[in-house]
Amino acid sequence: MKNKQTRFNWAVLIGALVGVQATAAGVRAEGTNTAGLPAATIGATDTNTLELIKQLQRRIEELEQKVKTLEGGKAPAEEPGEAKSKQQLRELDQKVKVLERERELDQEAQEAKAKEAPRISLGGDGFSFASASNNFAVQLKGVLQVDSRTFFNEPGLGGNDSMLLRRVRPILQGTVYRDFDFLFVPDFAPSSGPTIYDAYVNYRYSPALQFQAGKFKVPFGLEQLAQDRDILFNERSLVTDLVPNRDVGFELHGDLFEGRVSYAAGIFNGTTDGGNSGNVDFADDRDFAGRLFFQPLRKSESTVLRGFGFGLAGTYETMSTTNTAGLPSNTGGSLPGYFTDGQQQFFAYNPADKAVVVANDDHWRLSPQAYYYYGPFGLLGEYVISDQKVSRTGVAPYDSAHLRNTAWEVSASWVLTGEDAAFAGGVIPRRPFNPREGAWGALQLVGRYAELSLDRAAFPEFADPATSAGSAEAWSIGLNWYLNRNLMVKTSFSHTHFNGGGGAGTSAPAAVTRNDENVLFTRIQLAF
Amino acid sequence: MKILLSGLALLAVTISGAAAKDLTLLNVSYDPTRELYQDVNTAFARYWLGKTGDKVTVKQSHGGSGKQARAVIDGLDADVVTLALAYDVDALCEKGKLIPPDWQKRLPDNSAPYTSTIVFVVRKGNPKAIRDWDDLTNPGVSIVTPNPKTSGGARWNYLAAWGYALKKWGSDEAKARDYVARLFKNVAIFDTGARGATTTFVQRGIGDVMIAWENEALLATKESDQGGFEIIAPSLSILAEPPVTWVDKVVNRRGTRAVAQAYLEFLYSPEGQEIAAKHYYRPRLESVRAKYTGTFPKVDLFTIDEVFGGWQKAQKTHFSDGGVFDQIQKANR
Repeated sequence: MKNKQTRFNWAVLIGALVGVQATAAGVRAEGTNTAGLPAATIGATDTNTLELIKQLQRRIEELEQKVKTLEGGKAPAEEPGEAKSKQQLRELDQKVKVLERERELDQEAQEAKAKEAPRISLGGDGFSFASASNNFAVQLKGVLQVDSRTFFNEPGLGGNDSMLLRRVRPILQGTVYRDFDFLFVPDFAPSSGPTIYDAYVNYRYSPALQFQAGKFKVPFGLEQLAQDRDILFNERSLVTDLVPNRDVGFELHGDLFEGRVSYAAGIFNGTTDGGNSGNVDFADDRDFAGRLFFQPLRKSESTVLRGFGFGLAGTYETMSTTNTAGLPSNTGGSLPGYFTDGQQQFFAYNPADKAVVVANDDHWRLSPQAYYYYGPFGLLGEYVISDQKVSRTGVAPYDSAHLRNTAWEVSASWVLTGEDAAFAGGVIPRRPFNPREGAWGALQLVGRYAELSLDRAAFPEFADPATSAGSAEAWSIGLNWYLNRNLMVKTSFSHTHFNGGGGAGTSAPAAVTRNDENVLFTRIQLAF
Repeated sequence: MKILLSGLALLAVTISGAAAKDLTLLNVSYDPTRELYQDVNTAFARYWLGKTGDKVTVKQSHGGSGKQARAVIDGLDADVVTLALAYDVDALCEKGKLIPPDWQKRLPDNSAPYTSTIVFVVRKGNPKAIRDWDDLTNPGVSIVTPNPKTSGGARWNYLAAWGYALKKWGSDEAKARDYVARLFKNVAIFDTGARGATTTFVQRGIGDVMIAWENEALLATKESDQGGFEIIAPSLSILAEPPVTWVDKVVNRRGTRAVAQAYLEFLYSPEGQEIAAKHYYRPRLESVRAKYTGTFPKVDLFTIDEVFGGWQKAQKTHFSDGGVFDQIQKANR
């Protein structure tokens, strides 16, 4: 209504001004024409007009003189007509000012309204739209990893080179009612079909107190907790063989002392070493997991010390059912076990006498862990113990044993182009790839050493020493090329040496452990 | 074991040593308090650092009082609110469940550490000869006041006029309504907030008289480059008590309750009262009030409780949708 009124007022004012202009123009035109014509042709009307103009000019001169006098502080006595004119002038001036102010207020109102409008953005962080208050937000992101693995010097073992889609994950995340975050991440890469990796809701009461429910990463392994888009190599190290991945459960977590201390404690269905849980588990047992991580100097004025963090994590579960599902996953083989950087199985719970090995009773894990980042340099290390009680079934003797498997790793990285390295967020090139402008992105040199040792008690009752390795030692080097914050190309070489195994057989783990594993990885990754 | 204990001790020392806090507060306030709280925030930060060793930064947000209250209800993380009227703070309790119902009893003087009133600002020489409320309804007088639907200050203006009319006509509501209708018929422009109205009157040169907070009027006349304004104190006006409180839900979540409460209590301290008086808010503290008697004109004041039965009733009767103000405006169109 107000806008309508404003528009109407403007129309009236503009109309009035146009009218005045037109009249003045007409007067000027008539004057010009008159001056250009012979005196004889000037009619009575034109004479009157000229006289009128002269009168108006005299009047203007008089008014100008009065204005000058007024400006000089000498106010002449006003005639009633003049006072009325001034009053009208003041009123007109006020009307114009009011109209201008109304227009200004309308603009302010429009700007305020625009601020309250939902925001849409598209950039390096994906596509997002949010309410003006940020209380509601949705982000669409994604990760696509196209890999190749090429194995060398592997007599007797073929058919494992591959080009593959390692991860194809659209990511939907957001916030509702300011404090409730959600994340949904399916993966379309597994050959078994789409799988839900993350699906959770997180309530943020404060940074120090948050509650998360759904399927997400168990708070345990340091390398495992790094985002898939940020890991240094195509595959995580041997250590991650002993680390639970994603599981369904509930978790309390938060950051204390401005992030100097982070904690997480949760109850989960329980998953195997290196495994993702299914979306449902009807077993009565539950897995308890907790992690404390300290970054005591993250607010220090010294940049040398800010990037140091260390922590301790643990899990505990008592298996209520005894079956092979409680043992590590069987990637690369048909039986539960552990696998190499090249995703080939080098250890299996597969004794020579064909007894079936099952998990039962206690399973606990412990992991001290630390990292250090300073400028382009990064260092990460962790040690993991996984202690699992196993039993033999099917073939006597029906023995049980607590098998304590251990692993450790150290990985280092150096951004050759000088950008900062970080545990989370990857490397952001200062000069994103653009060859036309001589910009080539960022280059990072990476190296890693890792070992995994199986408990000696695993052999021969629970695993066949002729086929499974008792330990594996792997080193890797690689070069990561960050074209921009969304695209990267990775290449790395990994060498794994096995102690034990290598006996007869054409399948894993015997065929895998027969020779050292040498594998060349490449990856093209799009992540936003 | 010794090594472990030593390590834990070192960690504890490191964390506690580094735990000098760096705090932030958000003060969501109404339009004309910008300058007041700039000074209060600086003084309080100094006071808090000396008292606790913690650094506190107070951020400010200003706007129409009603709009600000709605923003807090909608999720703006205000640790404290310092609004124009208690009704807007009540909304944080009733609509947002952010504070307890008895919030006004948590601090002295109904949680209003300073007061103000409503006066007139006219152009130099008072060309329209405006002396009291009656003169505002004269033909040809152009008034500037914000919109009572969006501005707390404007509601005080409206109620001050209504209270005057009731007194003049022996509590005759019909005559009061007629008077207020005539007054609002003379309003040239409705701004959304008090600061906007000052801009309209002082900087844009619109109107013959501005009905304004006393502090805003004094500020406008003292700081105006043109020096072309005068303050007219009417014979009767309203005692405006802008209230303050901390927002429990927010301070509990952010862990800022202690500092937020201390911040508001600081307003009652001699230093806080002195700052308020310097910014033309009438101080509560007698010693400070005595020092500034010359600043504030003597005006007979009535309270909203005395004349209107409190904010809730006044709001419902006059400013709710379809209320008396809406009816007056509809008739004036």
